[in-house]
Amino acid sequence: MINRDTVAVAIIWIVVTAVVEIAFSFADIFPAAASEEAVIVDDAFNFLTYIAIPVFTFVLVALIYSIVRFRTRSSAVDGAPEDGPHVRTNHRWVWGWMVVTSALVVTVIIHPGLTGLNEVDELAQGDDLELVVEVSGIQWAWTFTYPDQNITGSELVLPLDAHVRFDITAVDVLHSFWIPAFRTKIDAVPGLTTQIHANITELGDYDDDINFRVQCAELCGRDHGIMQSQVRVVEREEFNEWVLAQQ
Amino acid sequence: MTALKPLGQAVLFAIIGFLIGGGLSAALVEAAGRDEMKEPVIAGGYLFALIGWLFGIGVWGSWVREWFGASVKPFEAHGWKRYFGFSTDHKVIGVQYGATMVVILLLAGALAMLMRVELADAESNLLSNTDYNTVMGLHGIMMIAVAVAALMGGFANYVMPLMIGADDVAFPRLNALSYWIVPPVAVLLIITPLFGGFDTGWTAYPPLASQGATGNLLFLMAFTTFGLSSILGGLNFIATIITMRAPGMTWSRMPVFVWAVFAASLISLTATQFVAYALLMVIFERVFGMHFFDGTIGGDAILFEHVFWFYSHPAVYVMILPAFGIELEILSHFARKPVFAYKWVVRAFFSIVALSFVVWAHHLFTSGMSGELHGPFMVLTELISIPTGVVFLAAIGTIWRGRLWLKTPMLFAMGVIANFLIGGLTGLYLADVVTDLNFQDTYFVVAHFHYTIVGGEIFAMMAAIYYWYPKITGRMYNETLGRIHFIGMFALYNITFIPMFIVGAEGMNRRVASYPAEFENLNMFITVAALLLGVAFLPFVYNMVNSWIRGQRAGDNPWGARTLEWQTSSPPPEENFETPPVVLEDPYGYGDPEAQHFEFPPDSGHAPEPVGGDD
Ligand SMILES: [Cu+2]
Ligand SMILES: [Cu+2]
Repeated sequence: MINRDTVAVAIIWIVVTAVVEIAFSFADIFPAAASEEAVIVDDAFNFLTYIAIPVFTFVLVALIYSIVRFRTRSSAVDGAPEDGPHVRTNHRWVWGWMVVTSALVVTVIIHPGLTGLNEVDELAQGDDLELVVEVSGIQWAWTFTYPDQNITGSELVLPLDAHVRFDITAVDVLHSFWIPAFRTKIDAVPGLTTQIHANITELGDYDDDINFRVQCAELCGRDHGIMQSQVRVVEREEFNEWVLAQQ
Repeated sequence: MTALKPLGQAVLFAIIGFLIGGGLSAALVEAAGRDEMKEPVIAGGYLFALIGWLFGIGVWGSWVREWFGASVKPFEAHGWKRYFGFSTDHKVIGVQYGATMVVILLLAGALAMLMRVELADAESNLLSNTDYNTVMGLHGIMMIAVAVAALMGGFANYVMPLMIGADDVAFPRLNALSYWIVPPVAVLLIITPLFGGFDTGWTAYPPLASQGATGNLLFLMAFTTFGLSSILGGLNFIATIITMRAPGMTWSRMPVFVWAVFAASLISLTATQFVAYALLMVIFERVFGMHFFDGTIGGDAILFEHVFWFYSHPAVYVMILPAFGIELEILSHFARKPVFAYKWVVRAFFSIVALSFVVWAHHLFTSGMSGELHGPFMVLTELISIPTGVVFLAAIGTIWRGRLWLKTPMLFAMGVIANFLIGGLTGLYLADVVTDLNFQDTYFVVAHFHYTIVGGEIFAMMAAIYYWYPKITGRMYNETLGRIHFIGMFALYNITFIPMFIVGAEGMNRRVASYPAEFENLNMFITVAALLLGVAFLPFVYNMVNSWIRGQRAGDNPWGARTLEWQTSSPPPEENFETPPVVLEDPYGYGDPEAQHFEFPPDSGHAPEPVGGDD
């Protein structure tokens, strides 16, 4: 079982894995995270990637090594090469593989799986809820109602450092409420009110960062692609002024 | 043109059927005093036209007549004419399915090119938004059809009976019926643009699917009809594998591809019913004015999503299990080593089947369904990685220290390992609830499922085409062109789809004709790569057509493979084997000089009984 090829693959695998893991730690593929929920989502992504990289490199290194090392030249001549060794299985490898892959799966189920769910739930249930916005989707526009402030319009303005709840529904067909800067989305369903929360942490404006937009994310017919609204996260005072101006 | 007589008759019967069905429906609508006439007439007309088509092509002449005591006239033809009638030879049907699906693949690929040209810049300019949606929906459903039927209808049909030493499938006429159901599906889909197209994508979520142009109705009827074909095929393969195995072909000696077909057939037979229910209910909403899914008057739109994915998630394993089977089969024969951990692979296949039925709601994490369902469906979905991992172990274990013979089929089979690795690992982010809250409905999802279905299954299909080409045609394809095809397709495939993960993570959602200008550079890059990927198919098409006409004679077993389909002539005679084989042990005895998979016993005056029949 321990032979030169196995040792060679192990060494290459460790080196490649280390390089890829380090490279990934510098990578920055997401736009700015503007809510506590977004940080949870991005952290979960990063953790999953750190776990996935060794699996990825293991299979790829073993595959490429095999191609380079075990290919036959007899393909120039007609006819199949000689047979390889008659190895049907290897109990230690199979059981080792089962144990390792199962352990990895249990790990990601617990973290970031169940822990992530729990963190998002806890944020939603926090008693610091400050603002409720009612969102309604209709082909192909969003309407935002601030019930406590008595405002209805097509503009979504939110205060910094606030815990906001969105109560979402649809008039005609399914839509989906997604603000990429906040990372979370939920469908707008006719006849049903769905909810989503954002604990906002960053200022932002669609004009500077397109991820401050409400994007319909569920195919809803002809103009689904352009069913967008701009989002502005502003300082508390500016929000209050905006509310007064709207009323 | 007598060769095309069955087709002409089928078209004529279809037209008569349409007139009868449409007329009856119109009369019923009149009698009921409703004013919506168009869709009931089309639906009723289609139902009768479908029956007329099937009767005309041969169901009447070679089948139904005997129910009334009349004699049947089976379809008989030779040469290319065999492919244009109600042939019951599984090899003819396999080629009919395979060729049809390759044509649909190329058409749907051309639609993808059209979408990519539209997406080259941020504005929507080439296509109207409605046309874009129709093109996208057609691309989706046509590729789903290819993914479901190319390996099962094509290769499982052709190869599986040969591999188990049978002379045909268990129900040859049912097999022909399941193929001839497919052309009406293609016709319905192709004419949807004439009826205003359809806006829903292939997933047909109501209430959108219950509204809008009549193209939606045609799409729903096409999808439902296709489901029927799939159910019949699954039933037939299960019966074949249970009852038609050659003497000595015990379960534990079956080639791994046969196991994969058996596992996938269990899903086709049992899960497809559910998508048919879901689609029929939407058809009823349109035709009879019912309201199952209208939440504003007591219906439930999310219910449709549950029923739809109860089929459509397992369906991805109808696509990928046969692909795993082909991959491992080819790796073994081209590494000259037994399939590694065979028994674990079979266990993995059936674990995947079982788990595939209890993970569907991972498509609904953002649907607004009850939050209590999130945890359980995440856990169950992630458990599927364990049996899937076994397939990777088997693949690596099989080639490890083997004698790798890098012919085109082997290259594609190894491409499956690399691509499906990416497809499988990126599935993790969609199984995890919190990362899915962000990625759902973005290009990340588009990239992920293309990696599993194209990178996994379509690459396996290419491996299968090159591997069995000499068996099916009797001629060898051109190896150089095959390698060019592999290198071009593998490189450009990855160059096209890797950036989609990135653009999705950056915030681009899917199913859109226009997008924020920030994503323009990446999209332009993807479009150029995708067009080049289209070009990479040209050597494939040329090679297939040209080699069929003037390729070198291949001989019976050019790969020196040990499974039974290679132990008969290329192409095989109508009865498959001149002498029925007797199986002695499994086909993976590479490296064991004593190993012998089969023998052809000298004619002892009585044909041996199939093993399946007597236990
Ligand atoms: Cu939409
Ligand atoms: Cu799924």
